[in-house]
Amino acid sequence: MIPIVSARGLSKRYGRTLAVDHIDLEIPPGRIVGLIGPNGAGKTSALKAILGLATYDGHLSVLGRNPSRERAALMEDVCFIADVAVLPRWIRVWQLIDVTERIHPRFSRARCMEYLAQTKVTPEHRVKQLSKGMVAQLHLALVMAIDARLLVLDEPTLGLDILYRKQFYTSLLNDYFDEQRTIVITTHQVEEVEHILTDLIFIRDGKIALQATMEEVEQRYTELMVRPDRADEARALKPLYERELFGRHIFLYDAVGRDRLAGLGELHTPSVADLFVATMKGGAA
Amino acid sequence: MKRLLALVHREYWENKGAFRTTPMVIGGLYIVFLLMSIFTTAHFDNELYTFREAVRLLAEQPAEFRAAHGYEVMLGSSLFFTIVLAFVVFFYLLGALYDDRKDRSILFWKSLPASDTLTIASKLLAAMVLAPLIFWLVFVLTQIVMAVIASIMVLSVGENPWTLFLSVLNPLKAWSILLVSYLAASIWFLPIYGWLLLVSAFAPRIPLLFAVLPPVAFAILQIWIDFLRTFTLDSSLFGVIGEWVANSPAILTAQVQDGRGTLALGAPVTADFDHAVTLANILDRLFSLHMLIGLAVAAVFLGGALWLRRRAAES
Repeated sequence: MIPIVSARGLSKRYGRTLAVDHIDLEIPPGRIVGLIGPNGAGKTSALKAILGLATYDGHLSVLGRNPSRERAALMEDVCFIADVAVLPRWIRVWQLIDVTERIHPRFSRARCMEYLAQTKVTPEHRVKQLSKGMVAQLHLALVMAIDARLLVLDEPTLGLDILYRKQFYTSLLNDYFDEQRTIVITTHQVEEVEHILTDLIFIRDGKIALQATMEEVEQRYTELMVRPDRADEARALKPLYERELFGRHIFLYDAVGRDRLAGLGELHTPSVADLFVATMKGGAA
Repeated sequence: MKRLLALVHREYWENKGAFRTTPMVIGGLYIVFLLMSIFTTAHFDNELYTFREAVRLLAEQPAEFRAAHGYEVMLGSSLFFTIVLAFVVFFYLLGALYDDRKDRSILFWKSLPASDTLTIASKLLAAMVLAPLIFWLVFVLTQIVMAVIASIMVLSVGENPWTLFLSVLNPLKAWSILLVSYLAASIWFLPIYGWLLLVSAFAPRIPLLFAVLPPVAFAILQIWIDFLRTFTLDSSLFGVIGEWVANSPAILTAQVQDGRGTLALGAPVTADFDHAVTLANILDRLFSLHMLIGLAVAAVFLGGALWLRRRAAES
């Protein structure tokens, strides 16, 4: 299967800082990938390279194309929402739909109108008259009406209230995603996307700290909750990370058999947020 | 092509106020001033006696005289439109590659499958063709309305407007030479348009400052060095730009020659070109060495603007 995104030694330098440091990456089709990392870890730099918005070093191929040289052609198959509310504020909704339809060969006006009918956005509205949440709905309606193979969402719900955020991901999953499509999401609100992700990529200091499918994560990582008296036994098994909660010790293990841990206390599959903290604070995964 | 037109249409939507409302306001002012002068005349002129005499005197003049003067008046009333158009295009180009960087909507425009070259082409087309075309159209409409009002006035004092001026005028000639001069001036001013787009793509803030300060600083330095060397104030970048405007194929000045007013291409202060308003003189400028050098300079500036635009969404 031809990967949607394939990177080898991908780097991005801003002056003296290496924002992306020789990343190797393969994203196959039909996945929903969460690209997760702390602020300044290089997520956005990596995404900008993938979208042809920035120059880079190393080898990068997106849908078989070179993004820095073929951005316009690439955008026929790739959609992105980079940040909330970047739609031009002066434009009217009907003008936005009109210009997108005339420039984008894979845009369906009918589908866009269908999505918009579920919102309070009307064609006569100017973008500047809409609330932040409505702008996000409008942008999502535009993007979902495009029959693209790769959708990149960079903090698509930042600053939106919980109702809009939930609805945003629900529409995305129910009305848009299928096996032909690939979605890459970066967000700080990990809890909201973790149940829809199929793959995880953690980035730290411009390097990939973890890359795994969610099934692999479930198999590899185990969370163990033990009473204080058995904490030393648990520590002996070399946990990745340890924290305390309500007097209990919680340990996170990488590739330690569940049978070896079961006797010590309660076992859980760690949440992405906990795994993220463990990976960032503890050693390399 | 379809995409380019869609992008030009987008420019029109964004700049409707500058491109469409502005010339309409100017046309409206012309008509309002005409009506005001009519009412003033009607108020002080007893039963329009003086007006009637003036029309009668005019009717006694030979047809060639009326045609020549009418032609000058028709073209001359375009001056205000032309100067405002220049301002509109200047500020439009300064904002063309700046505004969407400032409000970050560049991230949306770059998500559409339209290349940066196409985007810059659409901005140039809007400045070079779309804006002049709309200004010209509104100018023509204004003249038609004014001709109707003048005809009614002439009729009201018992003269025939058809024989007086309508039949002797050649509006198509005046209008078409104006349109040709607008489009020729668009090409002539390409080096300046290129500079404005380059600044628009580059300026981190206040593009006006970045557009004006470097040439001013450069020219002052030039004048100073020249003065140190030769104790004379000779040609500098100011001189070059000034001459460029003076040589332009746009109808920019009126002058009194042999006792009657005539219009001139650019300003008749240079001897590089003939400044009489003729089609041949307009084309002469387009096929000159000046133009060739100007196009080379424009190509460098536009190349720079494209290079910057490609990287405009980096940070």
